[in-house]
Amino acid sequence: MAAVLRLMIPTKESVEPDDRQLVETIRGGDADAFEVLVRRKTSKVYALCYRIIGNAEDAKDISQLVFLKLWENLEKYDKQYAFDTWLYRMVTNVAIDFMRNRQSRENAVNSNLRLVRTSSDPEQGVVVQHKEVEAVFEEVSATLSPKQKTIFVMNQMDDMPSAEIARVLGCRESTVRNHLFNARKAMQQQLEKRFPEYARLWRQR
Amino acid sequence: MISCREFRDQFQPQSQDANLLEHVRTCDACLDFAAHVDPDIMFRAIGGSEMVPPGGVDAFVDDVMRQVRVRSAANVVNIQPRWSWRRMSAAAAIVAGVTVGTTMYVMTGFNPSHDVLKPVATAHVAMVQKNLTTKPVVETYESENATIVEVPGESTGAQIVMIVDDSLPSDL
Repeated sequence: MAAVLRLMIPTKESVEPDDRQLVETIRGGDADAFEVLVRRKTSKVYALCYRIIGNAEDAKDISQLVFLKLWENLEKYDKQYAFDTWLYRMVTNVAIDFMRNRQSRENAVNSNLRLVRTSSDPEQGVVVQHKEVEAVFEEVSATLSPKQKTIFVMNQMDDMPSAEIARVLGCRESTVRNHLFNARKAMQQQLEKRFPEYARLWRQR
Repeated sequence: MISCREFRDQFQPQSQDANLLEHVRTCDACLDFAAHVDPDIMFRAIGGSEMVPPGGVDAFVDDVMRQVRVRSAANVVNIQPRWSWRRMSAAAAIVAGVTVGTTMYVMTGFNPSHDVLKPVATAHVAMVQKNLTTKPVVETYESENATIVEVPGESTGAQIVMIVDDSLPSDL
């Protein structure tokens, strides 16, 4: 009787298949399994898109585009590799493409309209708040290349080690470290120029 | 999630603790505290792994699945016939078979004459005509009150084409 009861109680594995099992089910033609996968990955994909792109609506659109590409390219996924690495590669490729297009549009239209903010009192102490930090980051990271920003976001905000970033982007770890160094240097320069109160706070290592 | 007191007790420069990072991503006061202890935490405070797209996760997932269904349906409609070698060779074999059959048919001299077909066609027409006759043919008619219209025939003299008689049944 105990054995029967144990069989009737769903285990965690039977309720929540891992990513690879879900992919196999989807490949078998089960669209409901894809919905489970989308629901599972939405927060991570959206968070990464948001940090790279810096705009909630654009990040939402890009996240949806990522999932549609995922649906169309699921046959290409190789089970030997971690699903998240493959997914992150798709996210970064789509986000970087979007950033490049947006940069070229902005450069064409607003090249003369950029405002340079200077602090009236650099000696004044700064109170750090999330909204302010987001605005500062968006402004100083605008000078980074899409790839630099993506690497900076994955490393500094998503706590991803450089080796993992290299796997996601399909490049060498030394390349990732180089991009990180240059990104931090460029951001430090922009902070000193536009937000000196934050520049003193956020030193370059 | 840990409390602000716990956060301030545990937070150290270059901390990688997930609970600490999650806390600093939601609390302005602790972010300000942490940024003065470790400035590197500043930009790491943006977002967090539990970010939700505008409109919520449910609406987001519904949108994605709707577009997936639309694209799947469009793919089904847009499927183009693919001419594989196998299909091409099958079609060529059919054409060759028909050509050879037609040639053999002509070469053997089989040419059906009209005599064979004629009785069939005649019988068919006769049957159709017979079926179309729904009223009796009146060969002789005698009446004192009838008005009989006659026209001259081509070979047999007078030909009656109309009889008007009030004493006859209306369906005749």
